[in-house]
Amino acid sequence: MLASRVFSLVGRRSISTSLCLRAHGHAGVVKAEDYTLPVYADRRDVPLPEVAFVRDLSAQQRALKEKEKASWSALSVDEKVELYRIKFNETYAEMNKGTNQWKTILGGVLFFLGVTGLILIWQKHFMYGPVPHTFSEEWVSAQTKRMLDMRVNPVQGITAQWDFDKNEWKK
Amino acid sequence: MANHSQLNFQDASSPIMEELMGFHDHALMVALAICSLVLYILTLMLTEKLSSNTVDAQAIELVWTILPAMVLITLALPSLRILYMMDEINEPDLTLKAIGHQWYWTYEYTDLKNLTFDSYMTPTTDLPLGHFRLLEVDHRVVVPMSSTVRVIVTADDVLHSWAVPTLGVKTDAIPGRLNQTSFLANRPGVYYGQCSEICGANHSFMPIVVEATPLANFESWSSSHPS
Repeated sequence: MLASRVFSLVGRRSISTSLCLRAHGHAGVVKAEDYTLPVYADRRDVPLPEVAFVRDLSAQQRALKEKEKASWSALSVDEKVELYRIKFNETYAEMNKGTNQWKTILGGVLFFLGVTGLILIWQKHFMYGPVPHTFSEEWVSAQTKRMLDMRVNPVQGITAQWDFDKNEWKK
Repeated sequence: MANHSQLNFQDASSPIMEELMGFHDHALMVALAICSLVLYILTLMLTEKLSSNTVDAQAIELVWTILPAMVLITLALPSLRILYMMDEINEPDLTLKAIGHQWYWTYEYTDLKNLTFDSYMTPTTDLPLGHFRLLEVDHRVVVPMSSTVRVIVTADDVLHSWAVPTLGVKTDAIPGRLNQTSFLANRPGVYYGQCSEICGANHSFMPIVVEATPLANFESWSSSHPS
């Protein structure tokens, strides 16, 4: 049962492949996907790209390539630059040049931080009710006194900051 | 209890919590070392120009496999030490039961007498001046200080958790299950905690208050309560 299912999968695949072959008429050549073909890339860590940048040379460029086969000292500076530009897209200096993108990003971040701040202000003003009555100054001072009387956190915490002899906070 | 803007631990009131604070300092130091190393390497990476030299590096791959293993051992050994310390056989002087309900605790002292009471949070409207909002209860858990106390924690309905940070205690209260923990209060004092497992609408409003007193006070308190 399993074997017959495997066979039918294999059989189906061979049929579809052969259909592909017949449709293209290449008789034995499989279509190559784009990502398998050599491609040009400007990268510091891959300094020699797989193909030249300019693939289809104009007549002038082809003449220049013929001249390149002779001695290079016969080439002018402009011709050398033209040959470079045929082979490569950017120079190292152009590749390494920074952009101004950071300004846009920083601006966007600060803008949204500002919007968030405005939302918070709006919330505090229009949405939230009053804080509990235990936040009043009278309550907080009574509460602090009670914490000191109870010796809350006496080792390094609040009670350790209070001078019990002088009845004041330690300096 | 904690101050209003406190980020660090409360002072330890039990030996286990002291150990845990020491371990936490150690772990934070390790974390600081790792973070500064990562930050340093990050700045190096971001300022280094890419070249074909930067695409593969076998020696550093070995280093950053071995080094983290050593860091983990540095963290694991003290951690396990404390873990086993918490589970030592310590022959408690007192056993009490903490049973979580929605939304209050019941405490049972049934070692020598039949003492049971509920502990509800004091509503904010009924708080005397200077008392702590959402932390005070009507009946505190009184225990003798400097005595090992065993607490058996369970729940009656849904999950709760009995936690008192300064004593280094947090134990889940699971219906149908008895979980055991123990602590020893070094100092006399009042220690606050809050329910630490979401249990419904009033999960934030069922605090725990442990009052550690000298043995004589504890005995007079327990005998004054009707059994």
